[in-house]
Amino acid sequence: MAHAHSVKRHKGLMDWLTTVDHKKIAILYLVAGGLFFGIGGIEALMIRVQLAKPMNDFVTAQQFNELITMHGTTMIFLGVMPIIFALMNAVVPLQIGARDVAFPFLNSLGFWTFLFGGLLLNLSWVMGGAPDAGWTSYTPLSSSTYSTTHGVDFYTIGLQIAGLGTLIGGINFLATIITMRAPGMSFMRMPMFTWTAFVTSAMILFAFPAVTVGLVLLTFDRILGANFFDVAQGGNPVLWQHIFWIFGHPEVYILILPAFGIISEVVSTFSRKRLFGYSSMVFATILIAFLGFMVWAHHMFTTGMGPVANALFSIATMLIAVPTGIKIFNWLFTMWGGQITFNTANLFAAGFIPTFVMGGVTGVMLASAPADYQYHDTYFVVAHFHYVIVGGLVLGLFAGLHYWWPKMFGRVLNEGLGKLEFWTFIIGFHLTFFIQHFLGLIGMQRRVFTYLPNQGFDLMNLISTIGAFLMGVGVIVFLINIAISFKQPKGVDGDVWKDGRTLEWAIPSPPPEYNFKQTPLVRGIDAFWKEKMAGNKEMTPAEPVGPIHMPSPTILPFVMSVGLFIAGLGFMFTNDDFGNSLLNFLFGNYIITGIGLAITFGSMLLRSLFDDHGWHVEPEELNDKGVKA
Amino acid sequence: MTNHDLNDGSAVKHRHRHEGPQKHIIAFVFSIILTLIAFATVAAGGVNIAFTVLLLLVMAVLQVLVQLGYWMHLKDKGHMMPILFMAGGFFVAGLAIIAALYWMWW
Repeated sequence: MAHAHSVKRHKGLMDWLTTVDHKKIAILYLVAGGLFFGIGGIEALMIRVQLAKPMNDFVTAQQFNELITMHGTTMIFLGVMPIIFALMNAVVPLQIGARDVAFPFLNSLGFWTFLFGGLLLNLSWVMGGAPDAGWTSYTPLSSSTYSTTHGVDFYTIGLQIAGLGTLIGGINFLATIITMRAPGMSFMRMPMFTWTAFVTSAMILFAFPAVTVGLVLLTFDRILGANFFDVAQGGNPVLWQHIFWIFGHPEVYILILPAFGIISEVVSTFSRKRLFGYSSMVFATILIAFLGFMVWAHHMFTTGMGPVANALFSIATMLIAVPTGIKIFNWLFTMWGGQITFNTANLFAAGFIPTFVMGGVTGVMLASAPADYQYHDTYFVVAHFHYVIVGGLVLGLFAGLHYWWPKMFGRVLNEGLGKLEFWTFIIGFHLTFFIQHFLGLIGMQRRVFTYLPNQGFDLMNLISTIGAFLMGVGVIVFLINIAISFKQPKGVDGDVWKDGRTLEWAIPSPPPEYNFKQTPLVRGIDAFWKEKMAGNKEMTPAEPVGPIHMPSPTILPFVMSVGLFIAGLGFMFTNDDFGNSLLNFLFGNYIITGIGLAITFGSMLLRSLFDDHGWHVEPEELNDKGVKA
Repeated sequence: MTNHDLNDGSAVKHRHRHEGPQKHIIAFVFSIILTLIAFATVAAGGVNIAFTVLLLLVMAVLQVLVQLGYWMHLKDKGHMMPILFMAGGFFVAGLAIIAALYWMWW
């Protein structure tokens, strides 16, 4: 037995720092994403407290700018993206019948770079002020002329490092889905969530390089004295807007597509019906992704691109309503005539559909360029994007978390608390944001830190604030639910909903480290459901029982990310005078940056020089655990 | 033990060796010719500037195709996904660059 040698197994904290198991990385993503989601939520509540009454002085104007900037940045990049990656990691390999992702090492690296990027960004709160130029960080406001603290440097470098993690994750899922599907699982037999994860990963691959370039240019402008966005030196501030939105618009579809996938799975499972119009759903997903790259300038109608550009981008934007509409109707037709179970997951899915439609409708309104001149930078826009991101994505994520929680943790969440969470959250959500449409229409601008009394804003803002706190209550109920669920013993039935359709329900909860004892043979769409309908208790195996090759745990991704963190922090303070010759020497000569990069590249060298042969789970061990395929 | 082919790259190497060197020699010669045409046009001087630029662009595109097709094996079977994603990348990047430049500077 050449590979009977034992691999070093870690326990406790070291296990989590070194793990390359996609299921554990999913939990890491969930915990870290949840933490940042909480921070972003607290920032949101502080914003709403400040705006609860006119001329409020809960925070200063500067603090308010920092709050709105960090709320948006944290929620998008550090809150919901990682939770999406958590679900993709937890579910996609199981849904395609794989034992892990294509590159387990990169999976771990993606997580740790995201985490350290996020920590760097949030470190700004205690290191001289958070970014304050809005989550879009438009130049010239974000240039070193107008934003003199290190806030925007934390934004550019923190997001650069976190974005690296996202890009790595996206490439990993592309490779996984293309190369690691179980025998028989053609592309058109893939579960809808896997499809959306695939398309989202492709969009990450195409969109994130744009923001990488943009952030590099802004970093150069701010730290090295370049002039990309400086008009006085021949630069162009509109260039930033183009680069940001060439990334930024696909980004919102990167966010929403996985939610579409989750809703498709949940609605279909709890209607006990096959997803209506599967192939049109796939087509619509791809079409949304394709069109998503051609509409970025609808964020810039008021920059003076001219009537031709505005008209083209208007039409392209409105076109997206067509594939989105296809999806909405397919979900309705899936539910129609189904035996519907309204548990928490399905309530969130059912709540998602009308809420997202409302966000979509205001989206089409905003797509009309002449009307947009009226809506631009008002609370109407704020209401719109919270309807699609909270009412769409976050409701979808809650549906997905309730649906896959038993699979991830082997424990079910309490239904009573879940329903309480749903109702407080969705009522709070509509209370907060529905009224903001009207605030915008009567002229309240976004990003203002306060307003004068008796303009008709007072009552509506107060209602909005009350709604925000109700959403907070909903999230707290969810946390209580999680805490209670951990009192149960681990190990619910693998097919806990009894109506599981896809491969993840064919294995125990939580799944063993190697997922599938034998790779399953897929004989149709909704592979597990098909076997159940054929009277089989389990999947037909596609291979004999044999030793299973597993990747070794490694600390290197963690160390590489620490290196990037140090390098980023060092680079940021290059031009600072610390009043201390040693510190000035260390930072001014890029020595700290160099040490950080040396750690990262040294780790890469180690990884290249020493082969990781992995280890094997032998058949005897498989049988001990009594796992069915 | 079935899963012990981790360090065994020989299977992969064999598959490529069957192809034989002829096609690669042709591709090599072709890319040299393309390069020579480009250099010669510029070196000769006196050629219309607009024509030179156009010719260089055409030569460059052909060169890229030869490189991708023969050396990156995109012409071989089973490369649908790389082709699809490269085309997607070209499309997105091209669209973004052209549109953004057009609306900013012209």
